[in-house]
Amino acid sequence: MKVIWLIAIREYIENIKTKGFWVGILLFPIILIAVFFFQTLLADSTPTRHYILIDQSGQYAEAVDTAIRQEQQRRILREFVNYVIENRKETDFEQRVNSADADEQIDQLINDVDADEVAALDEWLDNGGLNFALTMAAPSLKADAPPFETPSEQFLAAPLPESIDPQAAPEQIIEQLRPWLNGERQLLVDGSRVSLFAVILIPENVQQGIVRPGATMTPDNASPSGIQYWARNLTDVRLPNAIERSINRAIRNKEYENRGIDTAAIREVQRTRLPVNRLDPKKQEGEEQVSVADTIRQWAPVGFVYLMFVSLMQSVQYLLSNTIEEKSNRIIEVLLASVTPLELMMGKLLGIGISGITTIAAWLLSFVGFVYFYPSNQTEILSQLLEVLLSSELIPYFIFYYLAGYALYAGLFLAIGSLCNTLKEAQSLMMPMIMLLMAPLITMTFIAQDPNGPIARVMSWIPFFTPFTMMNRAAAQPPLIDTVGTTLLLLLTIALMLWLSGKIFRQSILRTGQPPRIIEIISMLRNRP
Amino acid sequence: MQEPILELNNVCKKYGSFAAVQDMSFTIPKGSIYGFLGPNGAGKTTTIRMILDILKPDTGSINILGNNCALNVRHRIGYLPEEKGLYKKMKVSDIISYFAMLKGMKKPLAKKRADELLKRYGLKDYGNAKVESLSKGMGQKVQVLSAVAHDPELVILDEPFSGLDPVNQEVLEQLIKDMANNGQTVIFSTHIMQHAERLCDRMLLIAKGQKIFDGSLDDARAIIPRRVTIECAGDISQLRQIEGVIDIIEATPPQGSNIKRWEILIHEQTNPQLLLQNCFEKGLNLSHFDHTQASLHDVFVHLVGSEAKEHSLR
Repeated sequence: MKVIWLIAIREYIENIKTKGFWVGILLFPIILIAVFFFQTLLADSTPTRHYILIDQSGQYAEAVDTAIRQEQQRRILREFVNYVIENRKETDFEQRVNSADADEQIDQLINDVDADEVAALDEWLDNGGLNFALTMAAPSLKADAPPFETPSEQFLAAPLPESIDPQAAPEQIIEQLRPWLNGERQLLVDGSRVSLFAVILIPENVQQGIVRPGATMTPDNASPSGIQYWARNLTDVRLPNAIERSINRAIRNKEYENRGIDTAAIREVQRTRLPVNRLDPKKQEGEEQVSVADTIRQWAPVGFVYLMFVSLMQSVQYLLSNTIEEKSNRIIEVLLASVTPLELMMGKLLGIGISGITTIAAWLLSFVGFVYFYPSNQTEILSQLLEVLLSSELIPYFIFYYLAGYALYAGLFLAIGSLCNTLKEAQSLMMPMIMLLMAPLITMTFIAQDPNGPIARVMSWIPFFTPFTMMNRAAAQPPLIDTVGTTLLLLLTIALMLWLSGKIFRQSILRTGQPPRIIEIISMLRNRP
Repeated sequence: MQEPILELNNVCKKYGSFAAVQDMSFTIPKGSIYGFLGPNGAGKTTTIRMILDILKPDTGSINILGNNCALNVRHRIGYLPEEKGLYKKMKVSDIISYFAMLKGMKKPLAKKRADELLKRYGLKDYGNAKVESLSKGMGQKVQVLSAVAHDPELVILDEPFSGLDPVNQEVLEQLIKDMANNGQTVIFSTHIMQHAERLCDRMLLIAKGQKIFDGSLDDARAIIPRRVTIECAGDISQLRQIEGVIDIIEATPPQGSNIKRWEILIHEQTNPQLLLQNCFEKGLNLSHFDHTQASLHDVFVHLVGSEAKEHSLR
């Protein structure tokens, strides 16, 4: 036992000295920070885009303008809510109850945005937009809060180049505008050259293009008579979507008028809603309401499965390359004169296992640190996730299934390592193992949605998938027979796998030359060395 | 004879149909330096691996340090395998003490011992160097030291001299002598006969998996006749009549000379002086007379020469 520890400690120390180990540990926080940092950065740095609006019908220019203004206001509203959440004074509950109603209004605003953005936007505009909101929020902001930065305009109207007649036939206008649309020529706006992002062309006869219920789409009224949106960029659909929404709203309002319907009443009706309360019968009376935390708890196992997968992959790969290194370095023979193959194998399993756990611990720590030092609206969901993870009953499951999964796969990869002399040789033997490991990852989401369904149950009973699948189901209280039965089967399989791997390891560790054929491996498994 | 430290009885090992070791029996007394000699592929390494219980013999028994399984007494054995390798990223002193600790030494003692060995065998500046920064020869020295750091009663070195320069070969020879003086038993395998000649008390010659010879250096030399070389213009066939002369062979003469060179094989007990005296009496005009003791090299070539050229298929 002492020898196993010695080997394990050496493996551990050597492992944490490698660059790969630190890359693995640091990559996670770096990605985390990068994702949040770049998200903000990208949102701020989207360039202002110039568009040309040609309204030949003379009816919808205003609606398009409104659409673009509303899109801008929507962004301001979002930014403002984030800004308020980040820079709010820390108040305890009692103070908040007693404080002025400004805080309540802010709470209201935040809630509204979360519940129904369109309605919140209307109200925001009705109330006077940003200026009003700033005055309202000022008393509840921290003393050292930075001033609110209004996001820059994203879409700006540009004038039509003078050489083009706005009343010409649509085909002709587009033909003339083509050099600008293709980026060959640039527009002159306020003395600086800018490229044209989109052309919105509303033909004179656009009225005929309105689609009404009952009227079937025929080939001749299908495409060209509607509003034309010309742009090379096919991925940024915010502008066409906003225009479509706004114009349709204008058309519908006109329609209401034509039919003598009160538009104000319609809007009120549209904003009336009845929320669906999701209740959980498993919980105590009075607390049945399903909260965000509950949803997270239901999905948390997926996170654990993923964590398990990443960490296991890292560990077994290291185990494999490490064994091959020892083999190709011929250190193995000296070791085998000092320790038994089984002691060597166990020492390795233990040492690499501990470094795998170190990695996970480091990840969790950096996650906690990140949530703690980088509080913002975006990380709030993360901190909620963390709270759920740490408070839930899932941690013991994770520890058990992680260790079981590790023991199961590590033995397998160690045996592969002992069969091969180079990583290249190992690759072909590794492929099926990796496929095996992928299966639980692919089915991860299905199982989380139907944790006690037939797929989940069947996969739980396949020992190679048990650690992942049962982890995935852990939050859904699987039937006792599944929990106990699969655990027993899993432990039996682990014992069998380690025994067989040990056999292969013992017999092949001194082998040189070509990797063995399947027949030889089978005879190794049969042999009594 | 002293109590044997290692005893093999009729040990056989086959790989498929190929017999790597056949019917091997020998005993090694305590405190001796014992050489395993033999051509490449003779079965030296297989025999050593079986002694160490890394491989199991098919039949036969091995008794090592009073035990029938080397694993039970592995803390009392030191082993340097034929193919050398060390952890590349580890420090030299760490690797020596690690192997000593694997053999049951306590950590502080192992560290002390590592420093002491490095100092004594000319590597004291390299204690903190990483193994990957060492030259091949130095790495090999480190490996020898890590094999013997725990003061084993029995040291088995498989081809310890290969890859070392002459100076370091001497250092290693000294190490082996030191250990023998210390009462430790050393077994080493080699195909360089000079080392065996200088170091070994006894030796075992293996070819094609079989024991060919087992005994002292003098016993080995006695196997092949003494050899006298003479150069002479006249007819020497009459020397054949002298008692003790086995054969006279014409050898290649030195370049640019028309004088003939002869090799005369004589019995071990025959005094070469007798031959010289005879030449004078018969009036032969000798321009060269030389007699050498048969070297181990000659014995080796004599015993396995024809077989070693043909590699048998493994």
